[in-house]
Amino acid sequence: MTSSSDFVPSGNVPAGGAPSGNVPAGGAPSGSAHSAVASPAMRRWQTGLVAVGLLLLALGGLVLVLDVGPSEFVGIAIWFAGAIILHDGILAPVVFVVSLMLRRAGKRIPLGALLIVQGAVVVGAMTALLVVPEQLKQAIGTANPTILPLNYGVNLVVFGAVLIAVTVLAVVVYLRRVRAR
Amino acid sequence: MAEPRLQHLLGHMRRSLAAPSRTPRTAVVLGRLLAIAFLLCFGTGIYSHFLQNPLPWMHFPTRPVFLYQLNQGIHITAGILCFPLIFGKLYAVFPELFQTPPVRSFPHFLERASITVFVASSLVQIVIGMLNTFQWYALFPFPFRQTHYALSYVIIGSLAIHIAIKLPVIARYWRKGDAERAAIDDANAVRDASAGASTPNPSTDSTAPAGTATPEPATAGGITGKVFAWIDNTPPAEPRASRRAFFTTLGIASAVLAVTTAGQSFKFLDVTNIFGPRKAGIGPNDLPINRTAKAAKVLESAVDPSWTLTVNYGDTTRVYSRSALAALTQHEVVLPIACVEGWSQTATWRGVRLADLVDSVGAPAGASIRARSLEQNSSYAVMDMGPEYVRDDLTLVALELNGDTLDIDHGFPARMIAPGRPGVLQTKWLSTVEVIA
Repeated sequence: MTSSSDFVPSGNVPAGGAPSGNVPAGGAPSGSAHSAVASPAMRRWQTGLVAVGLLLLALGGLVLVLDVGPSEFVGIAIWFAGAIILHDGILAPVVFVVSLMLRRAGKRIPLGALLIVQGAVVVGAMTALLVVPEQLKQAIGTANPTILPLNYGVNLVVFGAVLIAVTVLAVVVYLRRVRAR
Repeated sequence: MAEPRLQHLLGHMRRSLAAPSRTPRTAVVLGRLLAIAFLLCFGTGIYSHFLQNPLPWMHFPTRPVFLYQLNQGIHITAGILCFPLIFGKLYAVFPELFQTPPVRSFPHFLERASITVFVASSLVQIVIGMLNTFQWYALFPFPFRQTHYALSYVIIGSLAIHIAIKLPVIARYWRKGDAERAAIDDANAVRDASAGASTPNPSTDSTAPAGTATPEPATAGGITGKVFAWIDNTPPAEPRASRRAFFTTLGIASAVLAVTTAGQSFKFLDVTNIFGPRKAGIGPNDLPINRTAKAAKVLESAVDPSWTLTVNYGDTTRVYSRSALAALTQHEVVLPIACVEGWSQTATWRGVRLADLVDSVGAPAGASIRARSLEQNSSYAVMDMGPEYVRDDLTLVALELNGDTLDIDHGFPARMIAPGRPGVLQTKWLSTVEVIA
């Protein structure tokens, strides 16, 4: 059973700061006096939740065997592995490197402006993540013309332009406010 | 010494990944929202599933007429919102991937295995759900519907176990004030532990960043050492502003995705529907379609002048041509067509009440029906309908849609339309209606 101290308590700790011991690097002291020890009531909740969880997992497994069929398991396993690799191996490191670059740029650029730009990049990326597959499928062809009927490429460009305009405006307003102070 | 070196590396990675928004409090706040989204998707999904595969004792409400539309709109919009929420959540807990030692005990192994299944199934679930909204089935080598259904149990089961394991953390960081105190406590606990660790066991303590006697020769000189030193020299992010920006960004991303897509399910957002896979008003009879007459292989049979609708109960059979149906009392109803894929649109339907047709063969009060379509190779070619729909005044065998003759892609010569049912059960190209007492 994990305790709260397993988590990196970096909440009020400067990220990437000097290794001053604020952040545990290894096996955290899971039995420390401060970690929450589950009360009997909490233990009962935990037991109940695990029981419900195992029951639902068994049900899911049953549906997988009966309705989906073992012949499909390889495909599903490949997708599971692919999801983990894409997120943990590619997406998360890319996000880390980008945020690191932005943090370094923070030596020269005011933090607020940086955060606004960073937020805009994330909003744009998440939107693109959902819209680009639609564009691709539309290019390949759909089962009938009422599926994906919009001009997603143009809409995405317009959306991007609006996003950039709003971001620039927000940065300008922010910088003016900072200077006024 | 490969193991300490690995632990050293993992420890370094974990420290480098620390960020103001990567806190237990963030994980708890996002976890709550994500759990709500997951449970909404699960509940609406299960409702939709049992509408299509009812257990014998099940009866469904027919009012409000927009019930299934709302169900599907919630399912698909909450599903879309899972994208920013899950990415935010995974961002917050990402350093946990590098915890050392990677596996402490068998229960710890089980915990990490279960979280892997949880994350993988959640990501696969929302991605195939999204791909299903524009029918991109070629991308994945397994059947959509059955897999989506099975994974929903796997995900909610994993969620329950995850909550059970994390319950002490969740309790500590549930409220804002408690969370702030808990964070300070935890930081102090870690500092005390590091200071007190006088390396009785180097294999576990060598990863402690400071306060230990163990030097750091493993990485100090190498390329990794230089990289970590460079990362350590990067100025830290300011905690309060960074955290605020993190949540603001996720909120804006969620709002953008909802506002630009939910118009496919909800009329009032149609004007901002620029990214939805469906658009209100686009299609024959100003209504989108799912399966065309061509795909259903009814292009000839549906326009055959000798087409009839056979209504049957026991030994009583009545056969209606299209003009015979049109000669019966016509009723006009305004009902949404709400697709299992999530989109919905309200339309005006005109035709014969199903109740009148089953009465014409002397059906008893609580009768169900089984309708058949001309449709070929479809699991929906045969549709069962419970008595709550059969006797509903709004259930029609429709001949007209939005003021025009039903388009062949919408089920000409006649189709079923009932309140609160999935589109796949609004059987098109009707051929027979059999009363089952």
